Parts: sequence; C-alpha cells; structure tokens
Amino acid sequence: MSDSMKAPMSLPMNDRIVFEDVSKFYGEILGVNRVNLSIPPGITSLVGPNGSGKTTLMNLMTGLVKPTRGRIQVLGYPTNDPEQLFKILGYSTQFDAFPKGLTGYQFIYSYLRLSGRDAQGAEQLAWRVIERVNLVDAAKRNIAGYSKGMRQRIRLAQALAHDPKVLVLDEPLNGLDPLARSEMIALFRATAAQGCYVIISSHILHEVDVISDQVILLSNGYVVAEGQISTVRGEIQEHPTQILIRCTRPRELAAKVLEDEHTIEVSIHKDEGGLLLKTRDADGFYLTLNQLALNGNGNGIDIESIAPADDDVLSVYEYLIGNEEAVR
Amino acid sequence: MKRVWWEQIKAVVRLEMRKTFFARRGLWIYVVAALPVLIFVAYIVASSERQHLTSNVARQGEKPLTYQDLLAVKPGMTTPEVIAILGKPPTNFRWTEDRPVETQPGGAQPGEDQPAATTPVQHEDYHYSDGQNDLFVGLANGKVESVNIEAVENVGQDTIMFAATFQFFFLRLAVFFGCLGIFMNLFRGEVLDRSLHFYFLAPIRREVLMAGKFLAGFLATCTIFVTSEVLQTIAFVWHFPPGARDVYLYHNHGLEHAAIYVGVTVLACVGYGAFFLVAGMMFRNPILPAAAILIWEAINPFLPGVLKQFSVIYYLKSLCPVNIPSPPAMPPVLALLVSNSDPVSAPVAVLGILIVALIALYASSIQVRRMEINYTTE
Repeated sequence: MSDSMKAPMSLPMNDRIVFEDVSKFYGEILGVNRVNLSIPPGITSLVGPNGSGKTTLMNLMTGLVKPTRGRIQVLGYPTNDPEQLFKILGYSTQFDAFPKGLTGYQFIYSYLRLSGRDAQGAEQLAWRVIERVNLVDAAKRNIAGYSKGMRQRIRLAQALAHDPKVLVLDEPLNGLDPLARSEMIALFRATAAQGCYVIISSHILHEVDVISDQVILLSNGYVVAEGQISTVRGEIQEHPTQILIRCTRPRELAAKVLEDEHTIEVSIHKDEGGLLLKTRDADGFYLTLNQLALNGNGNGIDIESIAPADDDVLSVYEYLIGNEEAVR
Repeated sequence: MKRVWWEQIKAVVRLEMRKTFFARRGLWIYVVAALPVLIFVAYIVASSERQHLTSNVARQGEKPLTYQDLLAVKPGMTTPEVIAILGKPPTNFRWTEDRPVETQPGGAQPGEDQPAATTPVQHEDYHYSDGQNDLFVGLANGKVESVNIEAVENVGQDTIMFAATFQFFFLRLAVFFGCLGIFMNLFRGEVLDRSLHFYFLAPIRREVLMAGKFLAGFLATCTIFVTSEVLQTIAFVWHFPPGARDVYLYHNHGLEHAAIYVGVTVLACVGYGAFFLVAGMMFRNPILPAAAILIWEAINPFLPGVLKQFSVIYYLKSLCPVNIPSPPAMPPVLALLVSNSDPVSAPVAVLGILIVALIALYASSIQVRRMEINYTTE
C-alpha cells in the first residue's frame, strides 16, 4: 500500500505519529498485530468493523494500554510519559463515564487544573472550549443529567481544552444530531488546517470519506491498507476502477472507449445521460478520454463530467474488508 | 519537587476529597468511626446514672462518711457495730435464704423421697457511700459476711478500658477497615466506575497522581478518625468529676496520652493507607488482600522478629501509652495477643512505620506506571 504512512524503521520522527512493529495482546486475545505506521498531519481516519483494533490502536497511541511488542512515538514523545504526551495530545474516548458529581464546567476545569494550570487560566480555557462545543447553557449542570450528545461534546471539550497538537477522537460523531455533526466536522477540519494531527475512528464511512485526508483500514487487528483514499484505491489491482461519465450520446462514447485496451466493461446509464465503465488503467483511460473530449464535438459528444465511482472509503472498505458492518 | 507537581497534587486532592467524603458507598466508614464514640457516650450516660445514685445514697445517710469510715467495716462485725460506725443505712434490702443444713459425718442422712433439711438465714444488704465510693455490706443473721467497696470513678481502670477499646476496636477494626474502604477505592473504585481514564488522560506523572490520591486518602482518613479519636477522648474525660478530670489530664499524663492516641491514629492511617493503596492496585477482589493483611496483623505476635517488622500493628502497639495487662486466667497464647512482649522505642516505631509505608508507596508507584485502562477485561 501507500509508502506515505509506512514507518521508517528505528528513525525518530518528531513530526509524525510512529508505530514500529507494534503488537498488543490481551492475554491470548489479539488487539493489533505488527502495526507499522507513520501518520502525517491532517485528518486520519481509522476504519474497520467492530473488534478490528481501532480503539486499541488509539489507546496504544495515548498510552492507556502498553504495547506487548514494538514502539510508539507521538511527535517524538514516548507514550509511557503522560506528563509530556498529554501536553500535546487530547483524547476523546468512547468510555461514557465521568468522575461523579461534577458539572460539565467542573469536569473541564478540573482537567485543566490537573494539567497544572492556575485557577484563572483554567477557568478561561474551560469557558472557551465549552463555548467551542456549544455547551455553555448546560455547563453548570451535572454531567449525570446530560444527553448522549452532550456527553459526547463535553468529552470533545476535554480533548480540545488545552489546544493539543494531536487530537485523538474515538467515534466522535456518535450521538450527535446532524447539525452538531456538521459543526464538529467543521471543527476537525479547522483543527487539521492549522497543521494538527486529527485521528478519528468511525464506522460511518460516508462521513469518513468526506472528512479524511488519509485512512487506515483495519481488520482483525491488522492494518490492511493506509494512505490517501485515492492512492489506496489505485493500488487495489483486482478490482477495476469504475468511472462515471455524464455526457450526451453515451452510446457513441461507449463504442469509442471500448476501443481502449484497458476498458473491461461499459454500461449505459438508465437515463441515457451517461455511462459507467470499468478500466484496469485509470490514468491511461483519462488520457484517452482527453483525446476523445478534444475530438468529441465532431461526433456530437459533449462530456459534462467525469468522476471516479468507487474512489471512496466505502468502496475501498468493501474491496479490502467486505461489506460487513459498513454503514453508509 | 517541581512546583507544577505540587499544583497537580492539590488538584487531585480536591477531586478525591469531594469524592471520598460524599461517596455513598463510603457511608459505613462514618458509622465505624462513630461506633467507639457512641460506646463512650453510652458509658458517660451509665456513669452519670451511677454517680447520681451514689450522691443520693451519700446525701441520705445519717452522717457524712469518709473513705476511712467505709474501710472500717470488716467481715464478722455485727449489725449494731456497723451502724455504730456508719449510721443507719440509707438503703437496705432484706431477704431470707433457706440454706441447706450441713450434716455431720456419720449423722443421719435424709431419705431419697424426703426434702433436704434447711435452715432459714436472714440476709440484709446495706449500701453506704461517701459520694465517691460505694460500700456494699452483706449481712447474714446479723453478721457481716461480705464487704465490697467500689469507686464510682476508677481512673486507672477506665484508662485501661480506653486503651483496650483503642487498640482492639478502634485501631484494629475501625481504622483498619476505614483505611481499607478509602484507600482501596482510590484506584479500584475508579476502575469499577470506569472513570480512571480521566486522570490518565491528563499531563500528569502517574507517580504524582498516586501521591495526590494517597494524600487525599490520608487527609480523609485522618479527618474522620482523628475526629473520632478526639471525640472519644472528650467523652471519656467528660464523665470524670472536675477534680478527677484535672488530676487525670494535668498530673496523670492524660493530655499526653490523648496526644499520643491522636498521633498513633495518624500513623495508622499512613501505614494501613499505604498497604491498602498498593493492594487496591494489585488485586481485583479487595476481600482477599484485606483478609491477608488482617491475618498478617493478627498473627504478628507469633512471627519471627524479622517478619514482625513488616507490619503496622507491631509499631503502633509499641507507641500506645497504656499497656493492657492480660487477665490472670488468660491462656498464654491469647495473653501474647493482648500484651506487647517485644516493644520498640518510640522513635524506632515511628521510623519503622514510615519506612514500611514508603516501601508500600514505592510498590504502588511501580504498579501505577504499569496500569492500563482495560475496563472491558475487568
């Protein structure tokens, strides 16, 4: 798969999250096995079915569990040094439990005081992040009375409170309503745009597809693919690339594209407004299509749009893992 | 120590104190701490009742009596002789006993179906008092048969009773189980609540977190049990008449003993706290380590000298200011449990308990670094 996320062996990288031959076993149960990763800035999604090792990978990355074998470094910091690690890292876990008796504000404020901040600084930062996750009205209420979505947001607030460089979010969109989801996605994008590392686990593939710069696909504790989605897709040789073309006179265009040796299959769209084709050489096909487009007017063919039809996380997921538990 | 570590410890203490003091599952600790206080309050009530009765008897007497007057009554005296010394008794009780007749050797024995021969004996019980001491005189057919003087307030005996309550109930049960409840829950409780990750996600050294939690547990147990100890002392001293109280407090080491009991309580919280902190991190089921530590502490007198030193009670017993005498009829094995046959000096005891606590805390610091968040596998 892509080389962009392969970990160079035994090379300290202070601008990457590096897993070097990492395995984690819970007794005899496999968590993850032989993971080698080097995660760059941007939004990286961990994708995989339940039990594939997404949360284990995140817990390893944050030092909540220790690797059975291998080494992990987050921007040069070892994960067994929480004092340094959590200065640059915020983790929103899936654990839905909070210290008893705290309000949302106290939860964030206490976390910041634990980080060593003084009362005034902690108070300012707490209100700022509570505002950021739209929880001001509920901030003085006990967390025990929060809805699932509110609890999700207060966890996000905890992860964001100290402006970390690395944000690790385990299923961060769970329990959020559509408006809140889009607000949170915008927040993740803004964070990533500042050069931060946003690691998200999700099983909602269309959202992953929309927000991710790169993906890590996991299955049964193994990393089956990682990198930019298009790159990963391009490397799946056994499944021809599908391309959707919206055009006039699709039958004439179909006849022309079939002359290309890499084209395997062409089907006319039901509305006669385009065609779907499968090719083994997408790049070669695009060159051919450019020629056709240039000459198209002579044949009366007007190409409106060209888009890959299976160059998304869902397709990659289905090709590599199967469609079990994939949620659109 | 870095300044930020101290700030972090204070933050942990604030969070933990709130949780410890108001935890519903820790309410029983208050009950355990309050029990000895209630025992002494009950003792005050009983003592004041008796004091009241004694004063009434002294007031109702024909003449004011001194302790020397009470001592003058001896067995074998006649009723007029007793009345001559002490006056008419303010309270007396008469009753008749059918005492079996003692048969002479070779004398006639009653038949099997005949009742045994008896002779009536007229008993009189007199109760006198000088206001501080009660004299109970038992007369049979006009002669003194028994004399019993009881001090209403026996400071010496009460001090031993207080010491026994402190050692065998307060230290070995109340403080022991109170520390178990509080310190074992510092980490274990949060694993059960699935909220320990809150601390583990903060930029705080695990050892600093552990120190904060230990300090919080120590402050909580000290607050609860030192308060209990002070209230017990107040209750204990309260029932003495003012004169006896002053003598006990200022001339009979009462204040010094009270301060030592508080100190021993604090040291018990340090020692047991450190033990239970590490046990709470190492064991899933708190019953097993608690039982093991309880047995270890109980069998301490029977252990070889080297092993004795790895115990909390070994040092605490040596620090207790009043030695409890074992009753004469007690078997030697049990007497060993009561008395401290191998005491160490106070500085050695304090140092020993601190070293034992430090060893336990060092083990805790290793354990806390190894801890993982595996709620699903708990």
